Amino acid sequence: MPRIKIDHTKCTGCRHCEAACSLNHVANTVNPRRARIRVMRDGNRYYPVIAGPFVDAACTSKQYIVIGDQTYDMCAFCRASCPQKPYFIEAETGIPLKCDFCGIPPSPSCVRWCNTGALELVED
Amino acid sequence: MNGWIGRCLRVNLTDGKHQVEKLDTDLLEKYLGGRGLGVKIFADEVDPNIDPLSPENKLIFCSGPLVGTGAITGASCNVITKSSLTQTLACAKMRGHFGAELKYAGFDIVIIEGQSEAPVILSIKDDKVKLIPGLEYWGRSTAETEELFKKNLDDPWIARETYLVSIGPAGEKLLPLANLVNDRFLSVGGAGIGAVMGAKNLKAVAVKGQHSLQVADGSRFVRVINTLINKLNSAPLTSQSMSQWGTAFLVGLCYQKGILPRNNFRSTSQPLKNIGTEALNSAFALRGRGCFACPIACIKKADVKYSVFEGKGMVPTYLAIGSLGFNCGISDLSAIGVMSMLCGEMGLDPVATGGNFATVMELVEKKAVTPEELKIDISFGNADSMIEAIRLISTKKGYARRLGQGGMAISESFNMPEIFMGVKGLSLAPFDPRAIQGMGLHFATCNYGPHHLYGYTFIDELLNVHENLDPLETQGKASLVKRYQDTSAVVDSLGLCNWPLMGLKFNNYVPMVNSCLGTNYKADDLLSIGERIWNIERIYNMKAGFNMGHDTLPERFFKEPIPDGPAEGQISHVKEMLPEYYQLRGWSEQGEPGLEE
Repeated sequence: MPRIKIDHTKCTGCRHCEAACSLNHVANTVNPRRARIRVMRDGNRYYPVIAGPFVDAACTSKQYIVIGDQTYDMCAFCRASCPQKPYFIEAETGIPLKCDFCGIPPSPSCVRWCNTGALELVED
Repeated sequence: MNGWIGRCLRVNLTDGKHQVEKLDTDLLEKYLGGRGLGVKIFADEVDPNIDPLSPENKLIFCSGPLVGTGAITGASCNVITKSSLTQTLACAKMRGHFGAELKYAGFDIVIIEGQSEAPVILSIKDDKVKLIPGLEYWGRSTAETEELFKKNLDDPWIARETYLVSIGPAGEKLLPLANLVNDRFLSVGGAGIGAVMGAKNLKAVAVKGQHSLQVADGSRFVRVINTLINKLNSAPLTSQSMSQWGTAFLVGLCYQKGILPRNNFRSTSQPLKNIGTEALNSAFALRGRGCFACPIACIKKADVKYSVFEGKGMVPTYLAIGSLGFNCGISDLSAIGVMSMLCGEMGLDPVATGGNFATVMELVEKKAVTPEELKIDISFGNADSMIEAIRLISTKKGYARRLGQGGMAISESFNMPEIFMGVKGLSLAPFDPRAIQGMGLHFATCNYGPHHLYGYTFIDELLNVHENLDPLETQGKASLVKRYQDTSAVVDSLGLCNWPLMGLKFNNYVPMVNSCLGTNYKADDLLSIGERIWNIERIYNMKAGFNMGHDTLPERFFKEPIPDGPAEGQISHVKEMLPEYYQLRGWSEQGEPGLEE
């Protein structure tokens, strides 16, 4: 089954994937806030995050991950569309968004526009 | 409206009021947006003879119609004002994500008028526009300002999506060398603009938005972009050189052709081994960073190899390496990196700052002034004292504050105006015009002073992408310069970047523009818009007192042949090419466009 593999070391933070996603899902409209993929920035690095399942309640304990000497907010990398976080929620209707692996045969628009190889379609 | 938003925000800092105006469709189609629209509005509203630092001057931020739509490299926002360094119209290109965010906030253009009494920050969050007291940010570096502003927002989610453009201490002190810095470290590249913003007491502009942009024909637009990305990937310059090293890859090439100037344009041969891309690789761990929707990602960040760069450093570009480095006799890449980073933090323009110091260094060498008098040992090749001097001039501290007035003012104050290597008050970008004739003609005629980004003829003269031209030849260069100047005006107006032209033809842009905007432009229509914009700028400058006499280069390039290197013995032939250039532009022999345009 094909999957999207994310290699954050290659991400340049150009957000072309966000534009691609919103163009593909909302006709003739570009708005990164309506995209099902968002690029998070932490210090010097960028992390693409693909929208996952909807949860109707926020986590009770907020997680932090420590890698080396840097502390990362787990919320930023969480794929869920949750009430705590204003991401992956359609701003006008409030409907939660989730990646639908668009394109037939699966050739997600974000992967096609990602030129650096940070997003890659892999079979396994 | 497709592509465009059609809304203009006008903020008056004197009384703190703002209003939203509708933009006329005819005006948008005639001037596109970005540089074109901004220049048109500025020329209509602002008297050419005002003092740039007075409240009558306006500061215009204008995004192009393709910005934020996902059109490749559609990211740039142009800043238009009257520059305090050159006294001409100034138009600087802001890269990064600010331009796109401005569109998402619902505005094509922001016009800032008047002058605030106390320091303020303009915050635009969709329709919520307000002026925030900026006293606690005053005196801080650009990176600190951004960090503190985001911290003060409380909500980390909003902070993540807020983009900021600010001035550093240099702009606050009204230094003519100052420019703006956005997205933490991207230099906006227009000297003198920072001082205008500083005079208005405006520390920063912050934007965040969540509006949608409309595209005329989404499915065609997506197809066109897929093709363009493939085209960029099959071109060696855009897919490899630019992506890997940014513009710094030009250093080696320019060196081989004798274009890279050294010691204030008095030599082109470098007695150095450590130039070029390999040295860059070993001095910095490179990491690409893209402006909005950019498949090339030519901005290179220094990863944490050196602690001094941690989280903020940008690997020096060709401009920084040439201007701050080799032209000042400095060849240590990590020292150049530190200087380029300092320029970003202090809000100084690297080209103007480099040219400024090269002038001082030649003054010292010619014994017009002694290091004892300056109280700082500035001389060719002395990196440490130059780093120190950059700090001193930007905060106007110490004796070195005299040195921050721009190369022209300094050379005139010592009665040696002939050693200033610049046109219209701006220092030359690091291309020796004797060894690349077309660029020389562009430097002499450019409305904003000698900056290569307003007419990148080196794409054909040096890189031979579309045409195989000899840089030393003068034949056909006038039409080349005109074509590239018009192209740059259109590309800036659309809000695109110029680097894809290293792999694409200008014609390749046309389907992207039409499918996005729903228009029927042909390539020639767009180029004639470019010519119209160029003429408006020219007429504005002429009203401000510039004439044919300013379309020239420093005397050194006509009198002193290049003494060494591959282009040895060459002088500049600008004066011979100028009449042909005027004729091609349809101007009079005195270089005056018809005033009715």
